Amino acid sequence: MADNDIKTTEGQGYSRRQFFAGLGGVGVGALLGGFVVKGFIVPEQVMALPASEGYLLVDTKKCAGCDTCMLTCSMVHHGRVNPALSRIQVTKNPFGKFPYDMEQVQCRQCPAPACVEACPTGANHVSEENGNVRMVDESKCVGCERCVYACPFTPSRMQWNHEDKHAQKCDLCANTPYWNEEGGPGGKQACIESCPMRAISYTTDVPVQQEWGYMANLRNHHWGWLSLDTTDFGKEADFELPTNPVPPAAAPAE
Amino acid sequence: MATGGYVGKILYVNLTDKTTEEIPTSQYEEWGGGYGIGQALFWDRVPDKTIDGFDPANMVSFMTSPMCGTGAPSATGRTEVTGIGIQQYPIGWFTRSNFGGRWSAMLKYAGYDGVAVQGASDTPVWINIVNGKVTFEDATGLWGLDTHETQEEIWKIVTGNVDFRDWWDADSTRDSGRTTAKPAVVCIGPAGEAQTRNACLLHDSGNGGGQGGFGGILGAKNLKAISCIGTGSVPVADPAALMDIRLELKEVHGYNVDDPKVEQPLTGQGTSLFGINTNQPGYAHLLWTANQPARPQGCMGCFKNCRMNFASGLANGDICVEGLFWAASGDLNEQMAAITLLDRLGINAYDLINGHSYLHSLYKMGILGPGKEIHSELPWEEYATYGFIEKLLHAIADGTDIGADLQDGVTRAAVKWGRYEEDIASGLLNRPQWGFQEHYDPRLEVEWSYGSLFGDRDINEHGVNWWVHWMPLVTAALGVPAHFSAERMVELLAEATGVGDPDGWDYSEEGIYADPKLKAVAWHRHYGRFWLQSMLLCDWAWPQLASVNTEDNKGATPEYEIRMYKAVTGKDITYEESLEMGRRIWNLGRAIWTLQGRHRDMEVFSGYVYDVPTTAPYFLPVKENGEWKYGICLDRTLDREKFEDTKTRFYALEGWATDSGWPTRAGLGELGLDHVADELEKNGKLGA
Repeated sequence: MADNDIKTTEGQGYSRRQFFAGLGGVGVGALLGGFVVKGFIVPEQVMALPASEGYLLVDTKKCAGCDTCMLTCSMVHHGRVNPALSRIQVTKNPFGKFPYDMEQVQCRQCPAPACVEACPTGANHVSEENGNVRMVDESKCVGCERCVYACPFTPSRMQWNHEDKHAQKCDLCANTPYWNEEGGPGGKQACIESCPMRAISYTTDVPVQQEWGYMANLRNHHWGWLSLDTTDFGKEADFELPTNPVPPAAAPAE
Repeated sequence: MATGGYVGKILYVNLTDKTTEEIPTSQYEEWGGGYGIGQALFWDRVPDKTIDGFDPANMVSFMTSPMCGTGAPSATGRTEVTGIGIQQYPIGWFTRSNFGGRWSAMLKYAGYDGVAVQGASDTPVWINIVNGKVTFEDATGLWGLDTHETQEEIWKIVTGNVDFRDWWDADSTRDSGRTTAKPAVVCIGPAGEAQTRNACLLHDSGNGGGQGGFGGILGAKNLKAISCIGTGSVPVADPAALMDIRLELKEVHGYNVDDPKVEQPLTGQGTSLFGINTNQPGYAHLLWTANQPARPQGCMGCFKNCRMNFASGLANGDICVEGLFWAASGDLNEQMAAITLLDRLGINAYDLINGHSYLHSLYKMGILGPGKEIHSELPWEEYATYGFIEKLLHAIADGTDIGADLQDGVTRAAVKWGRYEEDIASGLLNRPQWGFQEHYDPRLEVEWSYGSLFGDRDINEHGVNWWVHWMPLVTAALGVPAHFSAERMVELLAEATGVGDPDGWDYSEEGIYADPKLKAVAWHRHYGRFWLQSMLLCDWAWPQLASVNTEDNKGATPEYEIRMYKAVTGKDITYEESLEMGRRIWNLGRAIWTLQGRHRDMEVFSGYVYDVPTTAPYFLPVKENGEWKYGICLDRTLDREKFEDTKTRFYALEGWATDSGWPTRAGLGELGLDHVADELEKNGKLGA
């Protein structure tokens, strides 16, 4: 670990770059979540923004990659279906090795939201009426995309909606005109409700997180009964690969 | 006209002169989608229906449905492929194949409801579709690559070095949109390039379109791949209603992974079979469960997610016969490697699933091997090892050793070797119709075998089969009571299908020839043609004729199909009307096969079906002395005379001439197909 790395009492290491990138994550987030971060002072202006009253909690090892969350996200927000307009993304490599074959990536409603900070018009804001969820007022968006590039995560959780011409982000379903349910903090979220694997949950506490995602395990013994993986956490593989898979090869056999 | 579901255009591609045309989908909307539209396009654009499947004039369609891309549960990601096949024997009928994944959804996001390909390129090409822009790309550098390598190369070409975790700009302007998805590619491997009759299409990791030989047909067209990527939207008529359907289906009929209503009684190898009836995730390999860390994996929009991705990355996304392939090895890691090699080479698992054991039988009989009647220098003494199957698969892809004959498929190889007549009579080669490997027992589970014989291929529709056969089998195998009685089973099926008569699911010696059974067979064809093959509902999920997750064991069919259709398209149809649309599609197919040379005299099973009795227990509901039970159906054959009489009555039920099996003017006219009757009459093939 490099000298300038920061270590939490949980024993998780992060580089300084990761720390700043994930400022909404393990930085301020860990403080708000009750964790102790040694040797770091939170700037006052960061604390000036109230924390979101809710967060999507994803278990990327439980995700089956069916994209249902993406399909329903775009549908309830826009009334049409388009994964490119989904505020939650499932990124996949069909040939990848579990658990590196796919990830759920979702807005973390950062306590220090770089997207909000970057917005020159106040379109991207903390919505007090909606449980402090970070939202985009589409009427105020001028299309500068600063928020898109300010988001520290890959892929950026801020999106340019190329069909309606404005920036957008996860609003925890606060604005879902094409759904018969009330969304937003305190309400329901389309991705959570529709996920057939129940791999997305909701929490009012800032989840423990890494740059690559949350450290969440939503799999109980019923999952294990199906001979599916129940180990912790997210992308961290805490198992050894099988010792004897015969390498596949389409090259001519000897 | 629909208000949702379609994106409005079908891409027609002429490979010979590298031209394209956009056909308004509305011109073909009456056929629904998928097979229905692919078949109608074929009817209109291939005047000579008797051409060979390798003929450049053969048109191969890759069709979506209104459901594709919408999130309609277990109906979002499948693609239907149609064209004249090269796999069937003795004639390559106009046929279909189907693969899952995300290709069809991505095609719609890229702006098209389907792609129809005709002609042949003089050099290897691949088709590149990006947000409605279509280009022909040189595939010389891809020729020889396996299916996985091909896709990875195309990803690099289309999206550059963008990591699979990041956004990719569809164009230089932001208003073209961004996606984190890689292009969806359907392609062929070395077996397809070699124009083998058992070459498949492959998409992503394990999504194979095997039956029909479309891999070999694309090889003949010099078409290595079709890639699509897009950022467009698919309209849905009533999104709130579709959302309600999804959530209801999940809660009422889905498997609650956190707290299942019915959980498999045991854990470990073999227990995944239980998932057939519970909708549990990750069960699709059927006879094996993960021997390593794994997750479930699903096609786009699925509510079940039946496949798995593994820590080794082998056999990702493979299901059913792919998953069962090379069980002979007895070593799961070797089996997974063999499955992956099969996928990479682009070989149809189903032609070889028992094909290799047939070849091994010939070896043990002293007919095949070094210096034998069928000369082969493959290491037959090492059968059941990975080393053997690796060499056999490569021999097929490369056309070496007996692979040179097997490139024509196992059936035609048997014909060439002079084994066919004897071996289909004895059942050593258990291929009941059209050269296809037996799937379920043709003497017993007859809506499957009758439907296959009166059609073009092994029908591969599991909605009935999951319940009538697998449910009693699996529960008995695991030592637990059947989920419900045989009497309740047939009641549920009679009600959900709309057939009405429980005797339609009587598999007794009398029941399989009785009129109620014929109504069940006809329902099966009509439902399949519309909902499975044209609306592209997955046959592993639909129809849901019963359920273990509901108190009364009632399934989601037919209520949910109709609700999904209305929510997506805005069109209000009844279930009966949907079946009538299926009957119309089925009858146009019958007309095409008639023009290709189909006649009643050809619709007979292989000899073993009539002459060799069943020897193993085979669970099905039977009615004996007025009482329903799950029978084991031992010592059963199909009776030739009774079957011929059954055939006559089935033809009459479908409105076909009983002496020839050809469609009639009256029957076609009832379906608004007078122009089809005219064409048959012109060719002297109108039934009287």
